[in-house]
Amino acid sequence: MNPLHISILLFFIGLYGVINKNNLIKKIIGLTIINGSTVLFFISISYSEGGIAPIFSKDISRESVQAMVNPVPQALMLTAIVIGVSVTALALALIVKIYEKYKTLDIQQLLKGR
Amino acid sequence: MKNHLPILIIILPLAVGFFILLFKKYIIQLSLGAIFIPLFLLLKFSSGFLDGNVIVYKLGGWESPLGIHLVIDGLSFYFSLLVLCAAVFIVLYSLYEETYPSSYYFYLLLSVSSMLGIIFTADIFNMYIFYELLTISTYLLIAYSKKGKSLKASFNYLIMGGVGLSFFLLGTGFLYALFGILDLPSISEKYLVIFSANREMILIAFALMIIGIGIKVAAFPLHGWLPDAHSLAPSSVSALLSGITVKIGIYCFIRLIYGIFGLEKYLFIKTEQFYLTLGSVTLLFGATMALAQIDLKRLLAFSTINQIGIILIGFGIGTKTGLTGALFHILNHAILKISLFFCAGIIIKKTGSRLLQDLKGFSRREPFIVLSFIIASMGMIGIPSVNGFISKFIICSAAIEAGFPLIVVIILIASVITAAYYFKIIYLFFDLSATSVKINKSSRRELASLRIILGYWTIYILTGISVLLGVFPSLGIDLLEPAVMSILSNFAP
Repeated sequence: MNPLHISILLFFIGLYGVINKNNLIKKIIGLTIINGSTVLFFISISYSEGGIAPIFSKDISRESVQAMVNPVPQALMLTAIVIGVSVTALALALIVKIYEKYKTLDIQQLLKGR
Repeated sequence: MKNHLPILIIILPLAVGFFILLFKKYIIQLSLGAIFIPLFLLLKFSSGFLDGNVIVYKLGGWESPLGIHLVIDGLSFYFSLLVLCAAVFIVLYSLYEETYPSSYYFYLLLSVSSMLGIIFTADIFNMYIFYELLTISTYLLIAYSKKGKSLKASFNYLIMGGVGLSFFLLGTGFLYALFGILDLPSISEKYLVIFSANREMILIAFALMIIGIGIKVAAFPLHGWLPDAHSLAPSSVSALLSGITVKIGIYCFIRLIYGIFGLEKYLFIKTEQFYLTLGSVTLLFGATMALAQIDLKRLLAFSTINQIGIILIGFGIGTKTGLTGALFHILNHAILKISLFFCAGIIIKKTGSRLLQDLKGFSRREPFIVLSFIIASMGMIGIPSVNGFISKFIICSAAIEAGFPLIVVIILIASVITAAYYFKIIYLFFDLSATSVKINKSSRRELASLRIILGYWTIYILTGISVLLGVFPSLGIDLLEPAVMSILSNFAP
């Protein structure tokens, strides 16, 4: 199994969590898993066996330039991770407010509540 | 100056937003300024864009495949003009609605700035980031009143939106894996070569991105969040969401399908048919569900789904006339729906109830608001002399030209249903039978206040614009001519 397959599997596990769980916190955990799976997906695009970090200096040989991994997906994913964290933080803040109002986190009871 | 226009327009609302959040001074003047200055700059150079000029701004000076480009062509000019004009009205109406603290205006400016970012950017990942920014600020705006229901609506939108944008991001990943670039023009250059080799991968990317954006547009099976989110937010925010934020999703649809995926016409079914089916189902569903509502703002939210269907149909027809009709309907729906939500805000404020049955006899209390409401709903139904009629008529004639007579029938049926639910409200306005309506004397006195005048006059001006566009449609059609041309020039191989 390569990382691509694992990331797709994780994506669907997360989707299952979001759709099927009744607890709001568990839904957010599902969302975080989905986010993590996309990060893994992007990183696995640029992964290469024996690759080195793309840091340029004066005394660097042509071969090691060839072996460098593509840094663009990693840079993109730094941003995506930050966004994922802020969405999670916002969701948890909303959950705190919802719990203060309704004293429950169960989605079935929340749907009944006014 | 002219070359730096795109970044200036995005940065100004963002910077001013943070400024007012930190210093809490001159909130209203600054936020109005942050919208008026980009609007002024855009209008100053408008003659260039209307002639078909394109401004490309390279962020940080990096060239095409690596760097992020901000582009103003005809299409982005049209949409950014729409967003900025609508934002002016929404800020003015927010003044009437409540004395909001600085954080409200911060979220508003943040959402305006990120919408402009989505419109200008030519990089898919950048589009994703701005979209996340937009949705984060809208979650906060929906939950702004901190009532239990609006918190639930915001959470619901957060789950749906979060999953949707993850789909979009995964689709972006597939595109990056195939093309090695994220720049939209470069992708469309390479598209046909790579498509023939990796048909399945492109299909997956297409499906993922369409689901992601489809959630944002509230196309039929993915609409679940919209009625709650749009109806439980404060009225000014509902106007923002229904009027323009949903249109941003349609903009991404246009960019992706006409920019990339539509280049190969037979993806799995014709892209045209995809749009047409999606549009008709959304149209009929929205209209039918709106008929069953008893809550005024919820009805308006379902009416948004209905009108989105018509816009999608216009894009599905795909001819020049169809695109013109769809783009014109975006403008018209923005004007009409913003003024309807503003009216609903005033109605809810005066009657203290959101239910339709409590509207009885409202025409006695606020005759001019009722008149504006009637004119706007005439536009929604598509009665001549209001702008909604023109765009619906253009879409219908395009459908006949392109040989889809069934679509015309569907639009007409939906219009009849639309008429049914709007006339239900209008009937209640004039129903004086139930309760003797007391005209509140004290409310007359507060009319002098500037805020009240602002709230009412934004509605009157919007109504005026919609009638003006209905009588002289060429005013609006001239504006969107370059937008249609830029879509079609992308589309032609």
